[in-house]
This record gives sequence, structure tokens and C-alpha cells, in this order.
Amino acid sequence: MLSPERLALPDYEYLAQRHVLTYMEDAVCQLLENKEDISQYGVARFFTEYFNSVCQGTHILFREFSFIQATPHNRASFLRAFWKCFRTVGKNGDLLTMREYHCLLQLLCPDFPLELTQKAARIVLMDDAMDCLMSFSDFLFAFQIQFYYSEFLESVAAIYQDLLAGKNPNTVIVPTSSSGQHRQRPPLGEASLLEGVEASLFSQCLENLCDRHKYSCPPPALVKEVLSNVQRLTFYGFLVALSKHHGINQALGALPDKGDLMHDPAMDEELERLLAQIPGLVNSATANPEAGCLPSRTPPRVGSPWRPLHHARKVEAESDGSTEETDESET
Amino acid sequence: MIPGKYRSVSGRAANNVNCGLHLVIQTSSLPEKSKVEFKLNKETPSFSGRLLQHDLERNYSSRQGDHIHLASSSMPSFPILQRSSEEKILYSDRLTLERQKLTVCPIIDGEEHLRLLNFQHNFITRIQNISNLQRLIFLDLYDNQIEEISGLSTLRSLRVLLLGKNRIKRISNLENLKSLDVLDLHGNQITKIENVSHLCDLRVLNLARNLLSHVDNLNGLDSLTELNLRHNQITFVRDVDNLPCLQRLFLSFNNISTFESVCCLADSSSLSDITFDGNPIAQESWYKHTILQNMMQLRQLDMKRVTEEERRIASVVAKKEEEKKRESHKQSLLKEKKRLTINNVARKWDLQQNRIPNIAPNQDRKVSDSPQDPSQLHGSTVSAFPEETGSLDSGLSNTLQGLSVTDTHLVEVDGDTLSLYGSGALESLDRNWSVQTAGMVTTVSFTFIEFDEIVQVLPKLKIKFPNSLHLKFKETNLVMLQQFNALAQLRRVDQLTIDPQGNPVVNFTLWKYYVLFRLSHFSMQKINGTEVTQNDMIMAERLFGILAHVASSELPQYRLISILGDVRKKQFRYLLETKGKKPGLVNEENSDSKRLVGENTNRATLNYTTRDFYNERLEEIKEKKKFCKMYMEDLVKEATEINMKNEALQKLWPQMFIELVRDAVIEIRNKNSYMKLCLQQITDQK
Repeated sequence: MLSPERLALPDYEYLAQRHVLTYMEDAVCQLLENKEDISQYGVARFFTEYFNSVCQGTHILFREFSFIQATPHNRASFLRAFWKCFRTVGKNGDLLTMREYHCLLQLLCPDFPLELTQKAARIVLMDDAMDCLMSFSDFLFAFQIQFYYSEFLESVAAIYQDLLAGKNPNTVIVPTSSSGQHRQRPPLGEASLLEGVEASLFSQCLENLCDRHKYSCPPPALVKEVLSNVQRLTFYGFLVALSKHHGINQALGALPDKGDLMHDPAMDEELERLLAQIPGLVNSATANPEAGCLPSRTPPRVGSPWRPLHHARKVEAESDGSTEETDESET
Repeated sequence: MIPGKYRSVSGRAANNVNCGLHLVIQTSSLPEKSKVEFKLNKETPSFSGRLLQHDLERNYSSRQGDHIHLASSSMPSFPILQRSSEEKILYSDRLTLERQKLTVCPIIDGEEHLRLLNFQHNFITRIQNISNLQRLIFLDLYDNQIEEISGLSTLRSLRVLLLGKNRIKRISNLENLKSLDVLDLHGNQITKIENVSHLCDLRVLNLARNLLSHVDNLNGLDSLTELNLRHNQITFVRDVDNLPCLQRLFLSFNNISTFESVCCLADSSSLSDITFDGNPIAQESWYKHTILQNMMQLRQLDMKRVTEEERRIASVVAKKEEEKKRESHKQSLLKEKKRLTINNVARKWDLQQNRIPNIAPNQDRKVSDSPQDPSQLHGSTVSAFPEETGSLDSGLSNTLQGLSVTDTHLVEVDGDTLSLYGSGALESLDRNWSVQTAGMVTTVSFTFIEFDEIVQVLPKLKIKFPNSLHLKFKETNLVMLQQFNALAQLRRVDQLTIDPQGNPVVNFTLWKYYVLFRLSHFSMQKINGTEVTQNDMIMAERLFGILAHVASSELPQYRLISILGDVRKKQFRYLLETKGKKPGLVNEENSDSKRLVGENTNRATLNYTTRDFYNERLEEIKEKKKFCKMYMEDLVKEATEINMKNEALQKLWPQMFIELVRDAVIEIRNKNSYMKLCLQQITDQK
């Protein structure tokens, strides 16, 4: 923890990198808002709870969008919360429209902007037929990329446009009388002889981008990997590739792998418990979750950060009821 | 024969023919001896003709022309009639030539005193040769073949003219017959009533069995007492009110179907006897009482006496109908107003939703002033229109934005349904509703109102209409699933109807399940008309159950409290706004909060704040955030300063320590001098 590089940074930069101030400010703000209630059980307890929830990733629930967007950790927590809450929707197999996904997002964050959802939808649908239905997993991964790396993607879009226009952003612009025209996008006929841009050039620009800017961007190595597989690619093609890349997903750490997307045994157990509480419910096809396979505990409220996703598989392999749980989903 | 109709009331059997004012006519049986001598046809003998016949029989034996000598005249084909002088003396004033197979009227010589002439049952085609009989009072040409009324211009004293069963096509040439008392034209082919206006002494007019299609032109018949129009094709009757003496009017077997076509009868005060049988009108259900009600003076209808009871019933029925009509008129007026108002509201709503471009108001906005008292509560329908602040009818030319307040909303209670159109209608929830009315309302329908506005009045709704179990929303801009969270604060909802029109949320696949999930504590029975099944509930729970779990158990405690506290605070605020602080209020609030906690806590944190409130809240928080930021900055500055100082100290400390040690060592180097120094210091300290 006390690594020398950490101490090497000047104070503000250190704080900023870890977004400590954001959380401190927010904590104090929450304290102020809920003075009466919190004063009942003490400020110290409040701070404990607050930072615990930050660690667990539950601090973003029902918060305003500006807070959710503030730090990468917040964004990742939000993605995870969304996955957790609405995994069942995906499990059910429903295909929903962009607007409906947006509604679901709004359930967790009332003022979530529509543009983000739209952009995410564009990635899935390749900027075509925006009213199409999307599957949960497609949308979720695309949304992840869009939301977590939104600033990065904006810059990428700008770069892409420049490249399409035939202009290399690496070159230095000498203002001449004709420089104003460079921004113009050439008419489609000329540029679309070959779709998209050259991957290598693109890759170079992106590298520079990653180096230059502070905000989060995908690990450059992985980006390079994505771009090395193809000759040319379009903007949305690139984004789709990003969203489907396992490595990037893992690097982010918010969502499980695509294959495991529908698995969350702890929550499933909770769900069964809730279902059992419905009055007059006839437990016909639902097999009782094998109580032995997992510790039947609600997720701990205090303490550990969210469970490491990549180990989830291991846990399941131990139980013998996992396959049956998967079958349950086919209701 | 002279029909028995002309029988006088007394029905005196008299042998004398009195051709004066009172036609005393009768059909009496013949005295015996004349019977024997009868040779002629024994059909019902006519009266006056009878008497004459009687005479004739006496004078007339089987031999034709014994006493009536029809000798040929100078004029070809006109027989000349002569009677014996005895007869002439005996029956100087009457002459019967019944069934004589006459084809023409014979010339009647030397009978200038004749007052009664009977030509019944012949084949006469023209009335001729009687111009010399200027004393004639009674002329009977029944059952001949006469085609035209003519040849009567000299008979100024004629009182009775019987032309029934002929072939007459027009009423004409009666100008000089000013004393005419009885005119019988039945069984002819007359199509029009005309040329009778001068007959001011006419008492009986018989036009039965003709071809009349309507009745008018009856002015001038100032003495007419009886008018027989049976068996025609009459469809309407006019001018009857111009007949001051008309007592009996027979319209049987015509084509009258409405009372309006004979409405002039109502104005005739003299009518006492009328018949309509055989007309289409007599088949109507309202026939009897309509006639009786409109013709109070009637004594007989269709030859039956009108009893008091009938009259009474007629007036009662008529009154009821009148009221019904009034009522339905009122209803239709109300309906129209309602329709206009709803149109107005709809248009305003469309504008609000930016669905139609901003155009100048159109002329069909003719909403009239309607200062109805809103607190009028009947059993069935109550509509309330706000009083307008400006008249609309005087050509508004400004755009819709500058429009004065019009019928912008509509509130309607119809039995068990409360309908609200337009956002202004929400204010009506503040009104004093009678407990009975409010208690009956089980369905509340919102149309053309923003859902966010409805959310704000839901607490009021809960209080004022405690039995409302079915909510309907149409054109209320329901766009997010989150908005359904707001409905959770109600006491109970059995049915929910969200009309797809104007509510995009219905297009979502999951909306019903979300509603069932969020409002599971209501145990809803129907959504949009379809029953809610157990499977639906299970599915809803399955889809969103984890959301509830996350929303409750994964939230930090302070968040839980603050969110729930917000909700309670909001509701408390609404309640405070409506009534003042009342003692009962606190209890209500407590029980509500208890209920919040008791039922489905895990969902309670799923709330809906309207957009405006939300932004308001964010605005409020901005101040706090700024302060926090500044505070934190101060803290950070302090901390970094301290940190810097600490780091500086860390850096300098080794050096400082060494120096400290060096100083100390140097000091102690010379033990003796050090001891002296210490002692000196101690004494100095005092």
C-alpha cells in the first residue's frame, strides 16, 4: 500500500487520481442533507456506512446522474448494480427496445440521460433501425463501453471523423487560407470506396490518445489487439469489437463474462425466497435451490468488496445444483 | 233513398214532409194498403221520396204512365211530365220520379209550386229542365250518372241538394244557391273543395267517398255544423278553425298519420265529435291521449264518449311526455356542452404536447357562458363548468397563447365514475363533495392531464374518495415505468386501465409486470381489462424481485431512512396543504407510515419524484454541494499543509536530530563546567 510511487505524486494529484475528494465531498453533502436522521445514530457510524457502501458499490443506487458519472468506480458500480437488478429480465429472454432499457436505467437513476442509452443502442444496432429490439447481454456490454469510456469514445469519434475526412490528427496544422475546409466531411461518394478507416492508422492515433489523456481508457494493449485483427473498420464496428472483447470486460471488472452473465446464485436464492413469500404460490416446476450448494446468506453488508467475478465459476463447480438452476430460467 | 243520417233528433214519424228548416224525415213502414199496390222495387224506401211514392202508388197502378203521363214533347228525347189534376192538388209541392229509368230530366210542366223533386235511382246524366221550378227546396238526384253540377242557377230557394253516388268531378255552379242547407256529394270523384265559400247557411256537407287528398278552402261556411269526409285520401286538414259552428267532423278511413297534419282542429272551439278510425294515426300508441290533450273540447272520439278518466289520463301522459322531452333536450344540451369542452381540452392538450402547430383559434369555439352552480348534486349526472372570465363569441382574434380562460377542463360524476378532463379539473378535488357522492365513486378517470400533476393530488384523492378502486389513465403522458411507483401511496387499487392513447409506457413489454411488482401489496385484479393471474404475479416477482431486494437490503441504513423520510415528508406536506392541522391528522400520518413500513418495505424505496420536484431538489442540493466542496478544499488544504510540514519535518528531522545530539554532546563535553552551568540555571530559575 505504501508504495513509493504513491508517495511520489504531489498531494492534489494523488487525491484526484483516487477521487478521494469526490467521495469526501459527497459524504459531507449527504451528511448535511440528512442531518436529523443521521444525528440519531452518530456521525462516525455514518461515515463507516458510507465508505462501506462505496466499497461494495451500492452507493450509486438511486443517486443523481452527476454523481454516478463522477468517478470510474461509480460507473463500474452502477453497471454492476444494473446487471444485478435486471439480470432476471435478460434471463427471461425478453428483447426490449432502447426506450425500455432506458426506463430500467431510470429506475436506478431517475435522471439518467437518454443520449447515453441511445448511443449504446447505436453500438448494438450498428447505427441502424433504432427501434429494433435488443437482447440484454448485447445491450449491457455495449452500454458498459459507452458509459464507462464515454469521454474516450467521444475523442475516438472525433478522430474517426478526421480520418474519414482524410486528415491525420497527428500532423500539425499550419493555418492557411484553406484550413477551414479541412473539417468538412467529404461527400460520401468519395470516401466510401473503402468503408471505414485503416486500422493501423487508427490504432496509432488511439495510442496517442491514450497517452495524452488522463481519463480512463481501455488498456492500450487490448485496444491494439482489437485493431490488429482487421484491415479496415468502421467506427461502430470498432465499438462493437470493444464491447465484445472479453479482456476489456475483465479489465473493467464490473460485469461477469458473457457466458456467466445470467449466473448469480446468491441473488437467485434471494429470489426464490421472495417468490416463496407470495401468498398462495404453487411451487410447481421450480426446483428448490439446493441449499447445500451455497452458503445461504444474504450478501454481507459490511466488509468485502464485491465478490471477484472470475472466481464465481469455481464456486459453482463445487455445487451440484448449478445446472438445475440454469434450467429454472426456462420458465 | 235519403240516408237515415238526416234523421232528426226527435225522430218524429210524420207523414208530412216538412221541407223547412227542420228536415223531419223518417223511414216509416208503409201503410198497408199501399204495400199491396206497390209495384216498384221494394228497397229501403226513401222518405220524401217515399211519401211521394206513396202518392204515386195511389195514383199509379201497374200501368205505367197512368197518371204520370210522359208524353213526348216537341223537343226530341225530352219527355214531358204531366200529372193528373187531382194529384197536382193533393201533392202540389212534391214529385217523385224514382227508378223511372230516366236518362234525361223530363220537362215538368205546370208544376211551378213544386218544392220537392226526387230523381233517385235513374240514369240521368245532366241536370236540365228544372230551371222553371223556382220554388224548389229539395232536390234529390242520388244515384244517377251526373257528371257535372249545372242547371241549378235559378233554384235560389234550394235548401237540400242530394247529389250522392254520381260521377261529379268538381264542385261548381252553386253560386246562386245561397240558401243551401244540406249538400250531399258523397260517392263522387271530387278532388278538391272549392266554390263553396258563399254557402253561409250550409249546415251539413257530405264529401265522403270522394278523391280528396287534403282539406282546405273552408272559409265562408259559417253555419257548417257537420262535415263528413270519410273514405277519402286526406293527409292533412286545414282551415277547420275557420268554421265557427262545426261540431261534427268525420275523418274516418283517410290517410292522416300525424297530429301536426290536423293541428288546426285544436283551435276549433266548437268541435265536439270527431272520428279518426281507419287512419294510420289511430294505430299510434300516443293517438288517444294526444288527441284528447290537444282537443279538450271533444265529447266524442270515434263515436265513443270521452270520459273524464280518459281525459285525465291523457293530460297526465301528455305532461309526462312534455317533461321527458324537456329532460332529453336538457340532456342533449349538456352532452353538447360536454363534447365541446372535451374537444377544447383535447386541443389544448395536443398543443401542450406540441402535436399541432400553433394556429389562431378557430370559430367553432363557441363555448357559451355557463354559470351553472357546481354544487348541484343529483343522483345521476353532475357537470361542472367554471365560470368564464371573458366572452368568447365576440370574435377572438388573438393567438391561443393570449386566450382568455375558457372551458379548459371538465369534471363529471356519473354514478360511480369520476371523470376529470384537463389539468384544471384536478382543483375540483378540493371541493366539498358530499359524503354520499364521494362514497359512491369507485372509478376515477383522468384524461388530458399530465401524470406528474396527477401524482401531486393522489393524497387528496385518497382522502376524498376513499372507495376509488379503479383508476383509468388516458392521454396522461405516462412514459416511464418509474412513474408507477407513485401509485403505491394510494390505499388500494383493484383495477388499472392505461389507455395506449397518449401513454407510451404501454408499448413496453414489461410494463404490466412492473406494475404488478411494484403494486403487489394491492393484489390487483385487472389490468387493462385482463384478469391478473397467479402466473403474472410470479413472473413479475421473478423479473423484478431482485431489484426490490437490492433496493432494500443493499442500501446503507442512512439512505434507507432518508429516502423513506422524503416520501413521508412529501405526503405530510400534501396533507397539510389540504386541511389545516387537525388532531386526526397525526394519527393518519402515523398509520400511513406504519403501513409503509409494514407492507413490502423492500419496495418502499422505489419512488417516483416528478421531474420538477427532482430538479428542485437538485437545485437545493447545489448550494450544499458548493459548501461541501469549499469545506473539503479547506480541509484538504489543511491536510496537505500538514502533510507538507510533516514531510518537511521528516526530511529535516534527521539533520535536526544530529544537531541536537551534537549540541548536547558538546555541552556535556566538559563535565565540570556543565555542572556549573546547570546549577546556575536552576538558581536563575527562581
